Amino acid sequence: MRAFISGILRLRRGPWEMLASVLIAIGVVMLMQPYALWAFSWSFIVTLTGTVMFLIVSHFPE
Amino acid sequence: MSGASVTGPSRRLKWAAGILVVGYALITLMPLLWIMATGFKTSPDSIAYPPKVIFAPSLEGYVNLFTTQTRQTADYLAANPPQTWYEKIVHDRGMVITGTSRFGERFMNSVIIGFGSTFLSVVLGTLAAYAFSRYRIPLKDDLMFFILSTRMMPPVAVAIPIFLMFRNLGLSDTHAGMILLYTAVNLSLAVWLLKGFIDEIPREYEEAALIDGYTRFQAFTKVVLPQAATGIASTAIFCLIFAWNEYAFAVLLTSGTAQTAPPFIPTIIGVGGRDWPAVAAGATIFLVPVVVFTVLLRKHLLRGITFGAVRK
Amino acid sequence: MPETAMDSVARATPPRVARRIRGLSDRMIAWIFVAPTIFLLLAINIFPLIWTIRLSFTNFRANRPNAETAWVGLRNYERILSDPDIWQTMQATAHFLFWTLFFQVLIGFALAWLINAKFRGSNFWTTIIVLPMMLSPAVVGNFWTFLYQPQIGLFNYVVAFFSGADPTGFTMIGEVALAPWAIVIVDTWMWTPFVMLICLAGLRSIPESIYEAAECDRASKWRQFWTITVPMVLPFLMLAVLFRGIENFKMFDLVVQLTGGGPGSTTELTSINLKREAFEKWRTGYASAYAVILFVTVFGLASIYVKALNKVKER
Repeated sequence: MRAFISGILRLRRGPWEMLASVLIAIGVVMLMQPYALWAFSWSFIVTLTGTVMFLIVSHFPE
Repeated sequence: MSGASVTGPSRRLKWAAGILVVGYALITLMPLLWIMATGFKTSPDSIAYPPKVIFAPSLEGYVNLFTTQTRQTADYLAANPPQTWYEKIVHDRGMVITGTSRFGERFMNSVIIGFGSTFLSVVLGTLAAYAFSRYRIPLKDDLMFFILSTRMMPPVAVAIPIFLMFRNLGLSDTHAGMILLYTAVNLSLAVWLLKGFIDEIPREYEEAALIDGYTRFQAFTKVVLPQAATGIASTAIFCLIFAWNEYAFAVLLTSGTAQTAPPFIPTIIGVGGRDWPAVAAGATIFLVPVVVFTVLLRKHLLRGITFGAVRK
Repeated sequence: MPETAMDSVARATPPRVARRIRGLSDRMIAWIFVAPTIFLLLAINIFPLIWTIRLSFTNFRANRPNAETAWVGLRNYERILSDPDIWQTMQATAHFLFWTLFFQVLIGFALAWLINAKFRGSNFWTTIIVLPMMLSPAVVGNFWTFLYQPQIGLFNYVVAFFSGADPTGFTMIGEVALAPWAIVIVDTWMWTPFVMLICLAGLRSIPESIYEAAECDRASKWRQFWTITVPMVLPFLMLAVLFRGIENFKMFDLVVQLTGGGPGSTTELTSINLKREAFEKWRTGYASAYAVILFVTVFGLASIYVKALNKVKER
């Protein structure tokens, strides 16, 4: 956990990619869950944020 | 050897595993065998209850697949006795052949588009894969990801702009258009797979060739290409199978001239009710080449389905 | 010294070709080799993609190319993302996605584990099992509608034979309660071998020595399975699940042939719904926005997939 936080602070690729992946996963779950319409409505923005973030952070140093 | 006997599966486990796997294989094979069997049934046999496992084989389905027929009066049939064996099959059911069906044409479309796009994607793919494997290309990882991601896109979504683009360029429902489209889709697979295969060829071979006085290009054609031959062949088969099986683009972008077999086979309808033996006959002719190719490919299957990432 | 060697080569190759190729630097060759691929992908993938994004802000209709098209801003997106019907199709997709992955992982892993016992003829049977996944989904899906026929269909007959139910009493693809399961069954039949093959690769990548060490430590088989086999296969399983997930998220050919989205819209998966909007209702602008949403989702999942791919590659 400490390594993860320090990786985030020092803009390392690994933890940031993990964060972006989680965001994408949350977006996909929001898109397809059967419980709340508002979550469906906001899912696209979450996925888009995650995907753009992934594109950027995959260029961070290892 | 003794180590293996300690950790390896026991005889009993092997037996149990064998029985379960063979059982699963037989169940999974049943629909396929049923397709093939149905192709050799007569119409009444194909819709019999209970389903007939033992039946008198007939080529009715195949004759129906390749011809069009109409029902005729008994007088007409008596006046025109059948000339050939296939006319006789149709005649016995009170029909006459009026011409050939579209199936042969659609099948040829599949062959032309399949081979055309395979050829193009393998040629372009080999060149690109060699460059990606051997040279330092700026943004290499991004380019490779971009190439792969194009294959992941949902075909129906891609088809919307392609439909408009082809309409503007006059490419809709043409062989050239479909070949280009399938080439683009297959290219990603070809580049990824071939890069894996070329990565495995030691660079020393080319370096030796260069020292011997070959040019870079000669080293590529005379050293790398022969070494990568099996890789290129299996990549080609993968591309061919994809183009052969593709349905979404074909059904959305072609309607007549360039329609391939997958969208056509489901539209086969007989005279009076769905002609299942003809459908099954078409499916059999269409599926058998893929089965043969799969058997040929079995060693490289894993590579093909993981874009070359898992190599055994 | 090197100059004379070069000269002898130059004499051996046809002069014009030699000059032309010798003149190319490695960098030039690299670009010449990559350019056609990149160009084709730009023309057939990226250009249409940009076009789609542009169209998604308009109310363009492809069946009326000459009509005025108006710029509608984000309205298409707003309408799609607040439409309960589209939400409904997403849930149908989720049901399909969840259960196909569940069964395929379960059966696929079990099969891989059994095949890894290396009984006699295991290679032959593996090839047999793999066959369904290589076939055309549309052609096979179409034929499954025959197998699913009540009374005459093989599937109904077999189920009736083993369960004692009336073979005419149920119609797999015609009933609201059964149709979602009908597509799950066919997809599982078709794609379990995919998961199996990848799991098998994972199992085979585990070095024998780890089990030997565990055996020395007197770890039970059960413990070995959970502490060695499963964690070692997990990255491979992850890869298979992600790929099948992406594929089934955009599932079209198999299901459109099996049920066509019916009965009603119970099996109307996202791609089928999109096809209706784009190629039956011809609401191109609206459908483009829909397509962009799918693109972004798949692109996001694909980035995770490639990450998983590289992880497996390092093994």
